[in-house]
Amino acid sequence: MPKPEDYSARKTDLAGWPVTITTYRLGAVYKTTIDNTDPGAWVVKAEGATKQEAEAKALREATALLEQVKRNKPPTGCTSVPGF
Amino acid sequence: MAVQTSPATQQTVVVSTDWAAQHLNDPSVRIVEVDVDTKAYSEGHVPNAVGWAWDTQLCDTLRRDIIPRPKFEQLMGQAGIDADSTVVLYGDNNNWFAAWAFWQLKLYGHRDVRLMNGGRKKWIAESRELTTDTPKISPKSYKAKDPDVSLRAFLSEVQKASAERTAHLVDVRSPQEFTGEILAPPGLPETCQRGGHIPGARNIPWGKACNEDGTFKSPEELKTLYGGAGITGEKPVIAYCRIGERSSHTWFVLKYLLGYKNVKNYDGSWTEWGNLVAAPVEKP
Repeated sequence: MPKPEDYSARKTDLAGWPVTITTYRLGAVYKTTIDNTDPGAWVVKAEGATKQEAEAKALREATALLEQVKRNKPPTGCTSVPGF
Repeated sequence: MAVQTSPATQQTVVVSTDWAAQHLNDPSVRIVEVDVDTKAYSEGHVPNAVGWAWDTQLCDTLRRDIIPRPKFEQLMGQAGIDADSTVVLYGDNNNWFAAWAFWQLKLYGHRDVRLMNGGRKKWIAESRELTTDTPKISPKSYKAKDPDVSLRAFLSEVQKASAERTAHLVDVRSPQEFTGEILAPPGLPETCQRGGHIPGARNIPWGKACNEDGTFKSPEELKTLYGGAGITGEKPVIAYCRIGERSSHTWFVLKYLLGYKNVKNYDGSWTEWGNLVAAPVEKP
């Protein structure tokens, strides 16, 4: 049975939103997932023959999606628990 | 090895990836994958694990509701699960829908249900085996109990909790959803008419209960997190999010890792409240 290899995860910003880019190789295929970090829901998934190819495809699709997110009037405060 | 939870519950409800790997062929254990991304299972899953789709198999597909009892009994039986089986659930997004499945298994009274700590993410990060083979299952007969309504909050109870402060309301969505800046997590479809939160709710995003590798934080850290926000377990707690899966995760943490007695999941969540005509909404 194949094992996932070359696992990597990194955080960045796309279209103003924090995202996490996770990539691993399964057999000959690199699989990339981009999630929106908070709440952590996956936004796009993509595959490629190389890590660069899989991530580039995922980044293009995720950017297009996240650019469409509508922001309402910015909040004047937030009672979310800080830290952690 | 299995992680022992708080003394208040004295139940073993979390297992490590090591423990799962050692029980792949244990006939008393059935491992089940439940993902947000319903295609993930078919791309590769834990060997011998069964896959359940949250959007077709863990709900009523006609009306908005949990899985009906006969369908639940059939699902469990077809997965080779009987009343004595240990069910280990795991999935993507740090076990969002695995926790949703856990909640429903507890609603229907299954005794031994556990989450694999860190879920699919940790299994993959640790370079453990994946397979696309579907396990061969010998179906079993499964009899569910009546739904335990003490685990589930309906709209009327949430309205009372908000108006009379009879329970702590914990909104586990992101701060941007809580404040109404956005109507859905970035990149996901908007499914409500209004943004904001239920009056009186406190915002403790679900992910604050997790470490970077997807595992749960220690009971001490969790106690500080929720206790610091006034959620101490002395008063009933109702957790909600957008559709009830993220709040299942928090419900699990509060009830099983912190041992709070009276915790309910409001699965109607913001897609119910935020679409109600004339419902009060607080911003931010």
